[in-house]
Amino acid sequence: MDFNLSREHEMLRDMVKEFANGELAPRALELDNKGEFFWEQVKRSGQLGLIGVINSKEYGGTAMGHLARMILIEEISRVYPPLGFFHQTGNLLMYAIETFGTDKQKKKYLPALCKGEKVSALALTEASGGSDPANMQTEAILEGDYYVVNGRKSWITAVDPADAVGFVAKTGDKFSAFIVEKGTPGFEVTRREESIGLRSLPVNEFALTNCRLPKENLIGEEGRGLVCALTTIATIGRTGAAGVGLGIARGCYEIALKFAKERVLYGKPIAALQAIQFMLADMNVEIEAAKWLCYSTAWQLDQGKTSRDLAVDIARCKLYAVDVANRCAYKAVDIMGAYGLSPEYRVIGLLRDALELGVAAGSQEVMRVTIGATITR
Amino acid sequence: MGLEIFVCIKQVPHPDHFSEIHVDVGKGRVIGEGIPVIMNPLDRHALEEGLRVKERFSGRITVIRMGRPRVQKAVEEALAMGADRAVLLYDTAFARPDTLATAFTLFYAIRKLGKFDLIYCGNETVDSGTAQVGPMLAELLDIPQVSSVQEVSFVDEKSLEVRRAWEHGHMKVRLKLPALLSVTRDINTPRLPTVQGIMEVPQKEVIIWNAKDIGAPLENVGLKGSSIYAAGIHEYKTDRRREMMQGSTEEKAQRAVARLKELGAI
Repeated sequence: MDFNLSREHEMLRDMVKEFANGELAPRALELDNKGEFFWEQVKRSGQLGLIGVINSKEYGGTAMGHLARMILIEEISRVYPPLGFFHQTGNLLMYAIETFGTDKQKKKYLPALCKGEKVSALALTEASGGSDPANMQTEAILEGDYYVVNGRKSWITAVDPADAVGFVAKTGDKFSAFIVEKGTPGFEVTRREESIGLRSLPVNEFALTNCRLPKENLIGEEGRGLVCALTTIATIGRTGAAGVGLGIARGCYEIALKFAKERVLYGKPIAALQAIQFMLADMNVEIEAAKWLCYSTAWQLDQGKTSRDLAVDIARCKLYAVDVANRCAYKAVDIMGAYGLSPEYRVIGLLRDALELGVAAGSQEVMRVTIGATITR
Repeated sequence: MGLEIFVCIKQVPHPDHFSEIHVDVGKGRVIGEGIPVIMNPLDRHALEEGLRVKERFSGRITVIRMGRPRVQKAVEEALAMGADRAVLLYDTAFARPDTLATAFTLFYAIRKLGKFDLIYCGNETVDSGTAQVGPMLAELLDIPQVSSVQEVSFVDEKSLEVRRAWEHGHMKVRLKLPALLSVTRDINTPRLPTVQGIMEVPQKEVIIWNAKDIGAPLENVGLKGSSIYAAGIHEYKTDRRREMMQGSTEEKAQRAVARLKELGAI
């Protein structure tokens, strides 16, 4: 059993770490405060080849795989989780098109998305929630060569900046996945939700009102939309959210550890106090455990296993890494006292971002349901 | 046709981990085992300059490094940034060289590589900081060289105008190729490798040569070829001290200045 990363993965980590420390860390607070979509950082990610790691070279990707994606999301999220989370949601439609789409769709959309010149989003959730997708109300009716779509999607990340949005709608008694492009008549971004974390990534509601989409905008076969969306959300969304969680946990741990070694109380660093050491020790152990849950799942995806084969593994890594992110962020705030509450010291921002992950790509309870139902079968 | 460009690189301890380096005074050795290594920061600027020249005129970039093949971080990083191939010089006979022996080793390797147009070096390394190897190598090759280079412009494909840092100013130098330039950090901002670059590394050529391969006389390389050696190593210990000044801001400032003067710090 070889637990070593390949040299390529090590080099990727070094490169992303340098990108994160050199270009993201100095601006993280400013970007967070602005709350605007970070086009510059997305384009830079595209230039570095980070956005297309799961897409094939033929369509502008680098095909480095899921473990590479996990590592880069982790390293970015250590410093600036919104961009890490962009690599989660931004990859959703890219994966859906690459896996289920037509050659024409792949050629049309993927190269610009890999470069970061354009961005995309994927929408399943409606106002009634995302955990029961079969109950959705959005409907597409075939009229000649066009589908006429009516409905509304809620709590979708980065629709506002997106040039192409994938979504699922009812087609008769089944569901189908479609692509709608920015500017299509009848497609309107209707709202930006206020959210406590990941503040520079807009979370939107959008409406489809008699929106006419040509048949060629169907992703895969009619009636297979839920398979497309759920496979994508499990393979890309949940693993991505896990990677962001792992990164946040590490970021909090590193900041708190440095602080504890430098902060002097009663004549010695607080790191010498057992109460602080216990918190740091717990963080250290949980991060290591989360890391291997995440890496092993991503590695198995690279070996050709599917999200169906790995349903429990994926649920485990998302559930655990996100819980660990929240626990580590709380502990870091605790260790740092009043400094922990100052945005300048970053951990409070990381805690806010960690809170967002619970509901992303399936709630923590849905993860438990997946694991629980399987192990008691 | 394009330009044949060589870039000399060194693998050095990561500056973030310098505090973990220890000195064994008894054995006269610096111990840095287990410390992460990187490409010498100025060598990245040297490589970046080479890459830009290649992008403008086309050509080939060969990075040359002397050292153990076991850890190849600097070479891998150079290849991921865009170097076309690497030459690694490794032989127990090359061990513990001074700057002259290092320059000789590089000289023999470059002589074996053949015709070239430009050699780039970092002006100095973060671990030893002598700034001697580039100029020495140029002397051995009998080519023009400029150190402390801040800016390079091509007059044409065969001649350069170079700006070099000088105390309280700069100097402009014109020179013909082939030439050697030792660059400073002002010259450019090195690129990060891309994922595409990283994926190409395993396909790129890494040539490993020993003393025999490059025809290096053993008396000119390694410890044997060194004109100087470390006669002894001493470690300075520094202690932090804290003193509190009382009074108004002005009084505190005056007391602090007086105390620093008393201690000889200012």
